[in-house]
Amino acid sequence: MSRRRLALVAAAAGALAGAALVAALALGTGGGSPAKPSAAPLGTRRVAAMLRGVPQNGTQLGSARAPVTLVEFADPQCPYCAEWARQALPAIVRDYVRPGKVRVVFSGMHFVGPQSQTALRTALAAAAQHRFWNVIELLYENQGVENTGWVTESLLRSIGESVPGLQTQRMLDARDSAEVSRLLAEGDALAQRAGVSSTPTFALGRTGSPLRFVTVASLAASGIEPQIDAVLKQ
Amino acid sequence: MTERRLQETILALAILGGGIAAYLTVTHLAHAPVVCVSGGCETVQHSAYSELHGIPVAAIGLAGYVLIAASSRPRTDLARAAGGAAALAGLVFAAYLVYVQVSIIGAVCQWCIASDVVLALLVVATFLRLRAGPAG
Repeated sequence: MSRRRLALVAAAAGALAGAALVAALALGTGGGSPAKPSAAPLGTRRVAAMLRGVPQNGTQLGSARAPVTLVEFADPQCPYCAEWARQALPAIVRDYVRPGKVRVVFSGMHFVGPQSQTALRTALAAAAQHRFWNVIELLYENQGVENTGWVTESLLRSIGESVPGLQTQRMLDARDSAEVSRLLAEGDALAQRAGVSSTPTFALGRTGSPLRFVTVASLAASGIEPQIDAVLKQ
Repeated sequence: MTERRLQETILALAILGGGIAAYLTVTHLAHAPVVCVSGGCETVQHSAYSELHGIPVAAIGLAGYVLIAASSRPRTDLARAAGGAAALAGLVFAAYLVYVQVSIIGAVCQWCIASDVVLALLVVATFLRLRAGPAG
């Protein structure tokens, strides 16, 4: 075989093998193109922009090496939690989480009603794909009045489809999995041990040290920033 | 460039790329933080695109670099062609991953970009070797 022909054969084989890898990854992740904007629920762009580039691991948001940990006890149906998510979290992510100073851990509760558990299970199912925060934030963006049936399959599916890189069907299928049940029970046990009975409740401290409950002055970022600054100075 | 010089260049580049891929594979499997300027590496490492049927994409890259390194030693046409095909396949896949990072995930991993540059250089080196043949 001539050198030119050999080079052509190698190029063709390489291009084919590369294309096969691309096809396998694109099909394996549910397409490989961004979600259709027409199906996007409220807040898609805001949440995507807020979380873009911020590490997620399970229900943790931010670097594992952040010196300060903030735990938020919250229920997906709780309106004050939604207010905090919209008013305070974006500034906290921008000023503390993104620069690596604070990691936020969501500890889910589901006492408002049965739909709280449906919503929380869906978000916890997304944790396996490191997209928990995208889903819980979009649930807050699209929250309806408590126990009025706003947590529909269609809403959950459209939220899943609007999250970059999330395999929606995989998330929906995992809602009743043993792993999600374990995470749910873990959250229940933590809230019970800590004596948390209302949401949102916050616990704050140096990462790796015991945390203390903090009272927020308001549901804006300024309501908790002084406490975070104080712990950062310790 | 002589056959020997090209062989050495390909081996050195494959070791460099393999080192990057090995680091990303280990941090992915250990769920460990990635040393990264922007934080984009962890986002990419934790995305749904970081695995193909449960196999870390970085591990696939590592296998590719091992194949290219192995193909740099034998002075046969089959080895030259295999090296070129593996490098080109890697570059095609890497180009798609750049698109995924920019357009879908919204975060860029600097380690992946460094690996992409190594792959591009490997494509040039392996095809130069392929064209030059044993006499070159």
